Amino acid sequence: MKHNDAAQATDIKLRVSDLHKSYGSHEVLKGVSLTAHAGDVISIIGSSGSGKSTFLRCINMLEHPNSGQIQLGGEELQLVPDKKTGALRAANHKQLERIRTRLAMVFQHFNLWAHMTVLENIIEAPIHVLGLSRDEAIARARKYLDKVGLKDVEGKYPSHMSGGQQQRVAIARALAMEPEVMLFDEPTSALDPELVGEVLRVMQDLAREGRTMVVVTHEMGFAREVSNHVIFLHKGKIEEQGNPREVLANPQSERLAQFLSGSLK
Amino acid sequence: MIDFHLILDKLPAFLGGADGQPLLSTSDGIVMTLELLGASLLLGMLLAIPLALGRVSKNRLLSGSVWLYTYVFRGTPLLVQLFIIYYGLSQFDAVRESWLWQYLQDAWFCAILAFTLNTAAYTTEIIAGQIRTTHWGEIEAARAMGMSKWLMMRRIVIPSALRRALPAYSNEVIMMMQSTAVAGLVTLADITGVARRIYSDTYMAFEPFLIAGAIYLVLTFVFVWLFKQAEQRWLAYLAPRKH
Repeated sequence: MKHNDAAQATDIKLRVSDLHKSYGSHEVLKGVSLTAHAGDVISIIGSSGSGKSTFLRCINMLEHPNSGQIQLGGEELQLVPDKKTGALRAANHKQLERIRTRLAMVFQHFNLWAHMTVLENIIEAPIHVLGLSRDEAIARARKYLDKVGLKDVEGKYPSHMSGGQQQRVAIARALAMEPEVMLFDEPTSALDPELVGEVLRVMQDLAREGRTMVVVTHEMGFAREVSNHVIFLHKGKIEEQGNPREVLANPQSERLAQFLSGSLK
Repeated sequence: MIDFHLILDKLPAFLGGADGQPLLSTSDGIVMTLELLGASLLLGMLLAIPLALGRVSKNRLLSGSVWLYTYVFRGTPLLVQLFIIYYGLSQFDAVRESWLWQYLQDAWFCAILAFTLNTAAYTTEIIAGQIRTTHWGEIEAARAMGMSKWLMMRRIVIPSALRRALPAYSNEVIMMMQSTAVAGLVTLADITGVARRIYSDTYMAFEPFLIAGAIYLVLTFVFVWLFKQAEQRWLAYLAPRKH
């Protein structure tokens, strides 16, 4: 058993341990942990208010947890308590920024930079954060635009595209950082139903390539078919987790059964 | 009756041509107005960008100081500011004896100083307002990509805010152009200054001020057109899609 752990530990990409988070006296995360090995696709499901988005946003410190540890590829993010808020903050900005470049995020509302064209959106961080040359960044951008299935959009502004196209640009922007782990925060929740498929297909392709992904989602089909691990959060705690085909077909907890009966059609 | 001969006779004076000299041979009239306007807008913008960052800073002392500055300069007439700088400061011995005096006794320098401080105050508030309304999602995306605060300001927040500030700033530029008319009151021969000089030479008021007004109208038209081009270029992302 011990030997097994050691062998597995080498390919652990992301380890989040015992995360707690409160807003005032309201505790939204009550000790949530997650381990992602290389190539894992982990779906996090739960009703709204379960803390699933907060958990994901704590992983790259867009929200500040009150306690817990975050390790990326064996490097522990140094956290210290903030005197004013009591929550944790990065001890070293440079380290946090470096870790964030290795943890790309895709948002529910895309969050593309509205004043930049598609190409400018994608090359911005590779040039100014990673230090790539403009030519290298453009080559990367074209490669990943191709991967997400977008053609002839380089000069367009995000506001002139459909939601599904914008989200695929956002995925290309995340891919252009060539991250070790990708975080998806309800990537299809803001899309019209007929546009959900195009984004899910891109994510499915990424999963097949062996990318390590953590996905907060309402898409039970994606959780079941694409991910190899599912976590059901309820009121800030992991209520149930495991292989999605087993967990979703045979929920052990009443909460999950209830949740699934409400969301499965 | 309007004296058209007078208009034709005096028009060159507004274009910098003194009697019998080619046009634009002196800096009087339009050249002076554009010089005062251009210098104060440029310097004002250079001041306004860092001041706007100070204005939105979490540091209370910094944002409070910038607020006080914009409050004072937006809360008093430009003419009063110009008189205090040009006439007021000279009554202090310390000012007259300092190295600054060589500049502060110069009406042209004082006008540019007053105009710069005035337009910088308005521009600071325009830009600060746009920085504050930057979409939070765009800021989160920048942070999530590993940008430092300064890089995010320089690459995302300021370029976005400056673009969105264009329509309000075009108003500021036009207002500022009209405001340069007070330069004539500290001896400078800008467009209005030239008109006043003709008035005192000829005792004719209607014609010179009519010319002055017409020139301001033409300049305004040019600025409106220039800003329209700028908005089409820099704010294209806010326009409806064309295809």
